[in-house]
Amino acid sequence: MINIKRNLLIVLALVICLLLLAEIAFAKPVTITFWHAMSGSRLGVLESIIESFNATHPDYEVKPLFTGTYAETLTKYIAAYPTKTGPNIVQVYEVGTQTMIDSDAIIPVYQIPEMLGETWDWAQYVIPITNYYSVDGNLWSMPFNSSTAMLYYNKDLFEAAGLDPNKPPSTWKEMEEYGEKILASGVVDHVYSTGWPDWIFEQTLAYHNHLYADNENGRAGLATKVVFNDDFGQMVVDTWTRLHNKGIYIFGGAEYSANSAFKAGQIAMLIQSTSSLAGILKGSEFKVGTSFLPRFEGYPIGNSIIGGGSLWVTKEQSEEELRGVWEFLKYLGRKDIAIQWHKGTGYFPVSGAALKDLLDEGWFSAEQTFLTAFLQILSGRRDTAASTGVRLGPFVAMREVFVSSLEKSLAGQISPKDALNEAEEKMNLLLKDYLELYGR
Amino acid sequence: MEFAPTFFKTLNIPRGEQMHEDKFPGNKFLPYLLIAPSIAVIFIFLIGPFGQSIYESFFFSTPFGTKTIFVGLRNYIRLFSSPDYLNSIVVTFKFSAFVIIVGLSISLAIAQLLNQKIRGVGFYQVALIWTYALSPTIAGVIWASMFAPATGLIPYIVSKLYDGYKLNWMTNGQLALLVVAAAATWKMLGYNIIFFLAGLQNVPGEFLEAAQIDGASSWKAFWRITFPMLSPTTSFLLFVNMLYAFFQVFGLIDIMTHGGPGNATELLVYKLYRDGFIHLNTGYASAQSFVIFFVISIVAIIQLRIVTRRAIYFR
Repeated sequence: MINIKRNLLIVLALVICLLLLAEIAFAKPVTITFWHAMSGSRLGVLESIIESFNATHPDYEVKPLFTGTYAETLTKYIAAYPTKTGPNIVQVYEVGTQTMIDSDAIIPVYQIPEMLGETWDWAQYVIPITNYYSVDGNLWSMPFNSSTAMLYYNKDLFEAAGLDPNKPPSTWKEMEEYGEKILASGVVDHVYSTGWPDWIFEQTLAYHNHLYADNENGRAGLATKVVFNDDFGQMVVDTWTRLHNKGIYIFGGAEYSANSAFKAGQIAMLIQSTSSLAGILKGSEFKVGTSFLPRFEGYPIGNSIIGGGSLWVTKEQSEEELRGVWEFLKYLGRKDIAIQWHKGTGYFPVSGAALKDLLDEGWFSAEQTFLTAFLQILSGRRDTAASTGVRLGPFVAMREVFVSSLEKSLAGQISPKDALNEAEEKMNLLLKDYLELYGR
Repeated sequence: MEFAPTFFKTLNIPRGEQMHEDKFPGNKFLPYLLIAPSIAVIFIFLIGPFGQSIYESFFFSTPFGTKTIFVGLRNYIRLFSSPDYLNSIVVTFKFSAFVIIVGLSISLAIAQLLNQKIRGVGFYQVALIWTYALSPTIAGVIWASMFAPATGLIPYIVSKLYDGYKLNWMTNGQLALLVVAAAATWKMLGYNIIFFLAGLQNVPGEFLEAAQIDGASSWKAFWRITFPMLSPTTSFLLFVNMLYAFFQVFGLIDIMTHGGPGNATELLVYKLYRDGFIHLNTGYASAQSFVIFFVISIVAIIQLRIVTRRAIYFR
């Protein structure tokens, strides 16, 4: 009896010694906090990428935290920053880019390799994507989930309505003609909807090489006024309102809420971010087709713009933390990870090498729908500010202004013309206020 | 207010220090020490932030607080010259009126029915009260998916009944306001019913029996006896529902409409949130919070003065 007790004690003591040794040998990993806004099918892919990073990098532990929508994440970051409770890395959508640049709260990513005594070739990332997040040619945030908008359509419904499932509409005029045919066939009550109506408006302008705001879309200097309220802008809102009144277009609300109607087969077409692709393919029981955004014939050619989010690095971190952050950012750009991210979501792979690998393995010929966004970007111009994208300080508020004006126009409360006038007036005031704060 | 002097007179205890001395001999400051934690909480969590927000309402600052400009009354001037804000005030009053009037009438009717001696009354009581236990998020999601324009049940039924009529609350502001108000009312039903039920059960049966013997119809008995005797409950619920309609429906609005379409469902408190936390304009939002405070205080004072004075307290 006594012997057993004594043996037990010895074993226990040994175990404790071993544990203590282990504690010394394997120092605790440095924790890197990461706030993000990835929901739906995107979340699972992100989590598995972070798990694999933590498994392969025992010195660091990335702790992801879902902080709500993009707007909520930005808000939380701003609230947390002054109290030093913010994360090491935060994901911000493209709308918040100017706010972050002016925030004085972040380290531009192009400075990080230098701070750590490394050099890094930024040209390995896909240039149209890094362009969006660059100021004077220097990259300020790490591109992570970049997308653009494209047209999704339901091939089965096209067939049921007597249309060729391999000929989606390519102009807004065709959108209307197809819409009328599909409505007349009675297969659906409404024909198309869009996600992110504010963003789709920006896309439509850029797609026709039309500026949104002055000072080169706010890229050459802070914008002082919006410039979309002309014949072209009015034609866009006019067209949308007319299609809405005919019952072809059904307003789908913000962000991704229109997706459910498309997946359920209640509408035949959807204009949405490419990041919804994997989710839509998985959630739909019909043949999904994708194509370029519809055009207005006879207007200049621009390009669809980059949306989605990028990763920003908080100032005032210890060197150890910064090293971890940098390892993580490099890891996300690695080609196998970029491929995993692209396949799981539909976001662009950020590195050129990843693109080559995807091509080599035949991914794009097997999964044609994943190719659409690339071809669309490649088939437009990239040498003008209008086709590169908009960068505005009070962009979040300005987008809300646009949506509420559009909603009023669709509801018939005011004419499309008045809607744009109202939006212009409110947006210019917001820009004026921003200049008052940040103008130099 | 008039309660204290009479109370002290009847007990024949002189007010003030002497009483403290009697109860806590030698410890003049003990009572103050004991209430200090509550006072501290009130100062730290209520008065402090309130003062801060009044202060901030005179400034315009960057989201990260890196630069602040004194703008005097500009935030207030903009507020009252903004058609959006005036619209928001109108919307808030319409919404509150619906939630209070419709909500309380339906609750009272249901409570009256639940107060009858019928089989399985316990089941009905629980079934009607449980909505209060739902979180605003769940309630919002339920109502939003019920009315979803392309996939919802109700637009589907309406389009079948009325020859393809398309009910779309995402583009019809009046409808959106009605749906949100109905959801808010529905959510509060349970709470109102519980209180009305408790109030009804306190109405002494003798009075009603006496009225019956005197030949009063049950309708008349209700309006002449039950309703007046319920007035303390009613006035309490009026107040609670008003606060609810003003402040606590934020979650519902945020889930269901985000203040849209246009700004048809942008209640004061939701507009404040958007300006402060989405548009990151703290000064403007602070000015709004002061205005809301002012409006709600006036309404509260009026209600407390009129309603409690006229309420009939039994026993």
